[in-house]
Amino acid sequence: MLKIENLHVAVGDNKVLNGLSLEIPTGEVHAIMGPNGSGKSTLAHVLAGRPGYEVTAGSVTFDGRDLLALEPEERAHEGVFLGFQYPVEIPGVNNVYLLKAAMNAVRKHRGLPEVDAFEFLGLVREKMKLMRMDESFLSRGVNEGFSGGEKKRNEILQMLILEPRLAVLDETDSGLDIDALKVVANGVNTLRSPERSVVLVTHYQRLLDHVVPDHVHVLVRGKIARSGDRTLALELEKRGYDWVTEEAA
Amino acid sequence: MSAALATRIAEDFAATAPVPADLQRHRAMQALTEGGLPTSRDENWKYVNLRPLEKVRFAPPPVAPQSPVTAQDLPAPVAQYARYTFIDGVFAPALSAPTKHAGVLVKSMHAAAANGAAISPDLRFALLNEAFATDGAQILVEPGTDCQSCIELVFVATTDAKVGASYPRVSFQVGAGARVGLIERHVSIGSDANFINCAVDVSVARDASAQHYRVQQTGARAIWFDTLTARLAENARYQLHSASLGALSARSTVHVQLAGERSEVGLFNVSVGGKNQVHDTFALVEHIAANARTEQSFRGISGGRARVAFNGKIIVRKGAHGTDSRQSLRGLLAGTDAEIDVRPQLEIYTDDVRCNHGATAGKLDDNMLFYMLSRGLDRETAQRLLKWAFLEDVVAKIEVPELRRQIEQSLAGQLNEAAALKELL
Repeated sequence: MLKIENLHVAVGDNKVLNGLSLEIPTGEVHAIMGPNGSGKSTLAHVLAGRPGYEVTAGSVTFDGRDLLALEPEERAHEGVFLGFQYPVEIPGVNNVYLLKAAMNAVRKHRGLPEVDAFEFLGLVREKMKLMRMDESFLSRGVNEGFSGGEKKRNEILQMLILEPRLAVLDETDSGLDIDALKVVANGVNTLRSPERSVVLVTHYQRLLDHVVPDHVHVLVRGKIARSGDRTLALELEKRGYDWVTEEAA
Repeated sequence: MSAALATRIAEDFAATAPVPADLQRHRAMQALTEGGLPTSRDENWKYVNLRPLEKVRFAPPPVAPQSPVTAQDLPAPVAQYARYTFIDGVFAPALSAPTKHAGVLVKSMHAAAANGAAISPDLRFALLNEAFATDGAQILVEPGTDCQSCIELVFVATTDAKVGASYPRVSFQVGAGARVGLIERHVSIGSDANFINCAVDVSVARDASAQHYRVQQTGARAIWFDTLTARLAENARYQLHSASLGALSARSTVHVQLAGERSEVGLFNVSVGGKNQVHDTFALVEHIAANARTEQSFRGISGGRARVAFNGKIIVRKGAHGTDSRQSLRGLLAGTDAEIDVRPQLEIYTDDVRCNHGATAGKLDDNMLFYMLSRGLDRETAQRLLKWAFLEDVVAKIEVPELRRQIEQSLAGQLNEAAALKELL
């Protein structure tokens, strides 16, 4: 589904990704781990098309199409979803409006009519229940005044409603207490299916206790330094990142 | 003020010939002659366009308007608010529905409460109003009265500046412990280039609470000058919501004095300018007593070749310890030839104060924009929503749902996006 080849990315003068290659087949969950500053979030942002990142070499294809040639909104239409590490507050636009506009944008792209208002609310309520979110969230501004945990749950709620084919979750577990972590993990697991792929960018292995990945990759200085199954995450937890970093040097 | 302008004002004043016994008007004229009107060289007046003054006939229109105004010409009323309509500054009983609420007295005001001789230079347009106005609304709210959906004033301008000027005039006095809501609208009928000079004086007594909504929606060629003064006693609360939409050139000068301890003022202002409009607001809050609070928010959008300016100044006087003030002033440029000027100013003469201020002038927030794009919204929709959200941040504070809807519709219209934003309205 997603094929990254020899990706080089710079932010200003800073080379952040240095020849990253990674393939994520349909239906799999991959965890990307790594120390601070290894390029994890950059990878997530580049996949979603955030401005400010310069791809200096390499390619990213999504179902055989050049993903990097697409605008951020086109990537969303194709089924790419980025779960933000720091979800943005947008006072004045309420959650339900954004959800509906986002859902209709994707439907329009697929040649479907706008979602029926009644049906839509039913769907949102069902997903909110799963995410243990209070109904008052709907009428509040997007992420406005939300706690860290509420923001992350809201990201997963959006994901569940948009049903992306590739979800890239950037440190969705950071700042969550154990109960919230379980709710978020449960949300991700709900989406898991043979048609979808998930990239979990995370610093810690605790999320991976709840969302068990098919593969684990360790990013060091903008390259995959080591790949393995979930036992690699457990080993990292025990030994820290240093040994991988040293090996990569 | 140029000599030529001073002469014309004096001539127009002489022509209206207020009786010699009308001391107040004569005194106002005298003070105006001595002090003059501000010029664009004055610091707080550099954004406003004062040139239209050269063509104004300052006297009120000599005759009633040619085509009588009907109720259908006026903005839709807001439920429960008693309406008082003024045509070119003069009370129009036929278009009014007086209040029956106990404790609320609305009088037609031929002679208004004086503003005092020691008037600050920034407030001199109020003197012009005082010298020429022949009518106005005096609202007296007795102590303890609870009338939260209370009075609506509609000021209609119909006359061209070459023929005569319109002088809306309001005195709003809220008695101790009262709770009251006032809506004040300014509109034009017809397409004449009106000259409107408005003066409003507010006083809120101890423990009283007043909500004041002002909507400036005058015609596309109108010139609008406005001076609002307010004085708050101990523990009084005053919230002023202003929406500036209309006029070719609009200047509002606001001066709030927090004279009583623990008094609280909220100033919430939105301004959307397009084409070649000029919207300029100078809002001064003076903390005189201790432990008083100010919250000031401004959201302005400038498109086309418009110029939108907001100067929010807070002075904390000696002895006003425990002052808590917050300013959030934000401007958005929506056109390459547009201009936006946002200026927070603080003058502090005491210790132990907390003054937060934030001011930005620029383009839409890139992070917000990317967030929306990443959810699949197309760029145009996302930008439109963000512009809307930018205003809603302050508009949402309007606590009268009907009025809020009307203002939102007008704002959407002003942004040329009424149809696109339909679902949000």
